[in-house]
Amino acid sequence: MINEVSALTSSSSTDGLLKASSTTRYSMSSSELGGTGETPVTSFSDAMAQVSQGAIDTIKQGEAASIAGVDGQASVQQVVEAVMAAESTLQTAIAIRDKVVTAYQEISRMSI
Amino acid sequence: MSDPLSASLHISGAGLHAQSERLRVVSENLANARSTGQAAGDDPYRRKTITFESEFNRAYQANLVSVKGIGADKAPFTVEYDPGHPAADEDGYVKMPNVNTLLELADMRETNRSYEANLKVMTQAREMVMRNIDLLRN
Repeated sequence: MINEVSALTSSSSTDGLLKASSTTRYSMSSSELGGTGETPVTSFSDAMAQVSQGAIDTIKQGEAASIAGVDGQASVQQVVEAVMAAESTLQTAIAIRDKVVTAYQEISRMSI
Repeated sequence: MSDPLSASLHISGAGLHAQSERLRVVSENLANARSTGQAAGDDPYRRKTITFESEFNRAYQANLVSVKGIGADKAPFTVEYDPGHPAADEDGYVKMPNVNTLLELADMRETNRSYEANLKVMTQAREMVMRNIDLLRN
């Protein structure tokens, strides 16, 4: 989980964001021009999709664990662990979303 | 590659589980402290013991604690003179369980302390994770 956070802190800092947006722009323009831009560049949106899929999975696990706990099939410790993981993942996702929205607003406010 | 903080959360979770098993054994022993046999000469309840072991978890690259087994205490039973008891032998003696209530209570306290310590580790790890997320949020 923290790996995801640290990966995102490095990629969601402004430097990483600008780099990611510039690489996506570059790959788009090269494909429009018919260039051989087939390098496997993981774009920022791909990374975001991957991380958010992981977050959704963690939250689903937390949900399943709490249902199992209510059912009496999981121990209290297991439920607490899964719910705590889900909670911190959700917090991370919210923080990242706020960062992304802020970055988008910064770009849209840029004077040309 | 595993995250040390979530690993410590998981390790403390295993500790909590082990200690709750231990408390279960203690409660069994305490509840059955006076459980005798049914017929004359029958053995009464035998005190249960719990042992732990360290097991390596490959996913977390860490040693987790687990319950190795629940055994039986080989200490001899005590006898009490009670001729009217259904489990009394021809001399009027009844075998009582080899449970020492004082020992069980001491064991329970130790279980409690260990559980608290594991919870403390969990709280600390969670706080560190949350502070990390706050750094991302600010």
